Amino acid sequence: SRGPVEQGPALCVLADSREVCSGPGVISCLRAEHGLRVQVCALGTSDYIVSNRLAVDRVLQSELQSPGNRNKLSQRLQRLQGSFERICVIVETDRVRPGETSRFFQRTQYYDGVLSALVQAGIRILFSSCQEETAALLKDLALLEHRKDAAIQVPTEPEGHRQDVLSFYLSIPNLSYGAALNLCHSFGSVAAVANSSVPALAAGARLGRPQAEELHRFLRHDFEPQLLPQPLPAKGK
Amino acid sequence: PVTAGSIVVPYGHVIGNEKWRGSEVAQRLQGKVRLIFEDGLGLVDFHLSNRTSLLLISEADLVAGEEFKRRLVRFRNASSLRGIVIVEKTQISDQYYLGVQKLVVLELGMVLLPVANQGETSQLIIQLVSFCVREQSRDHGSNPFLRKQRAQLAEPAVLQTVQQIPGVGKTKALLLLQQFGSIHRLCNASINELEEVVGQTAAQQIYTF
Repeated sequence: SRGPVEQGPALCVLADSREVCSGPGVISCLRAEHGLRVQVCALGTSDYIVSNRLAVDRVLQSELQSPGNRNKLSQRLQRLQGSFERICVIVETDRVRPGETSRFFQRTQYYDGVLSALVQAGIRILFSSCQEETAALLKDLALLEHRKDAAIQVPTEPEGHRQDVLSFYLSIPNLSYGAALNLCHSFGSVAAVANSSVPALAAGARLGRPQAEELHRFLRHDFEPQLLPQPLPAKGK
Repeated sequence: PVTAGSIVVPYGHVIGNEKWRGSEVAQRLQGKVRLIFEDGLGLVDFHLSNRTSLLLISEADLVAGEEFKRRLVRFRNASSLRGIVIVEKTQISDQYYLGVQKLVVLELGMVLLPVANQGETSQLIIQLVSFCVREQSRDHGSNPFLRKQRAQLAEPAVLQTVQQIPGVGKTKALLLLQQFGSIHRLCNASINELEEVVGQTAAQQIYTF
């Protein structure tokens, strides 16, 4: 079943730098087992970006069990919905630490409520029992998106001047890392982006219509200094 | 009959396939949701709303072989309803889970939720119904995962973005935006216009960026 990956250039997945610590098994398995190109970068919003439109968050089952995490998770997923057309959550079974007997998973009403809310919000849910399975699911998703012509196909490591341009695009609200990379490669300059129409932005950045409209609006937004919150926000938020 | 068509579900009710009458799932649902049994639902086990139907796959279905797959594919082909599949994932059926997940979620684009037994099935149905009811009543605010469309001021973000241009800090960014108004107009400013606002060096940097 690994056949399709080996044809042509390797599929590319972007991984958030935090995943190097929290999911090392996922990243190494994606590279070694499935032959994917994994680019680690500061995504900030999601754990993985699998295509131009799909973001994947890896969540431990225990995190869905405790109401304490609810705000964090909902803020995260709401932000993702601002930047991506599709969102998937992989619910991974917690690892049993050495010396710990396998904990019995006590399913709570709260847990069922979280799942129901995710379903109703149109967020795709996959279940995994370990990091290796999570990697296999990410590969399946990347492959599926590739078949639908949504794969990430631009170089993921801009150099020199392009790095500054990338930081510029990344600072735009609700613009995903993938869309920023696409802007870098599809347009010769920032001015070309600023002068583009909504359809041209959608095509060049591989964005959906609403996101392209938001980007267009942002670039042409008329700045009103009086509307800045007082005192001015500190540099770097 | 192989029906998978839509059906009118009265507000706040669940319509169950006749075959579930008297089952453990149905007994546990009694009193928690308003359950009506109907004949001829075909492939669907429960209708949670006009748009959402539920298909249950038992441990025995999984062990028995491929029949349940044909049923899911038939449902998907015959219906545009949102299909939620609940599967019994036990020690015995666990080995089949990944294959089922790939079929249901990745290939058919339906929702798949694992449970350990019929007791968990009914608990999950109760929660799903409660969210279906909220959806019908357009009470979207209660879903913590739906994006709230709130207007946010773009000013701080625009200022932040302009500061990403090399050589531009907060002071210069503010001056530039006061003069040119938007990123679009800033991008189209001539080098002379830029020089009037910031120094020659910075103007050059901005212009080449």
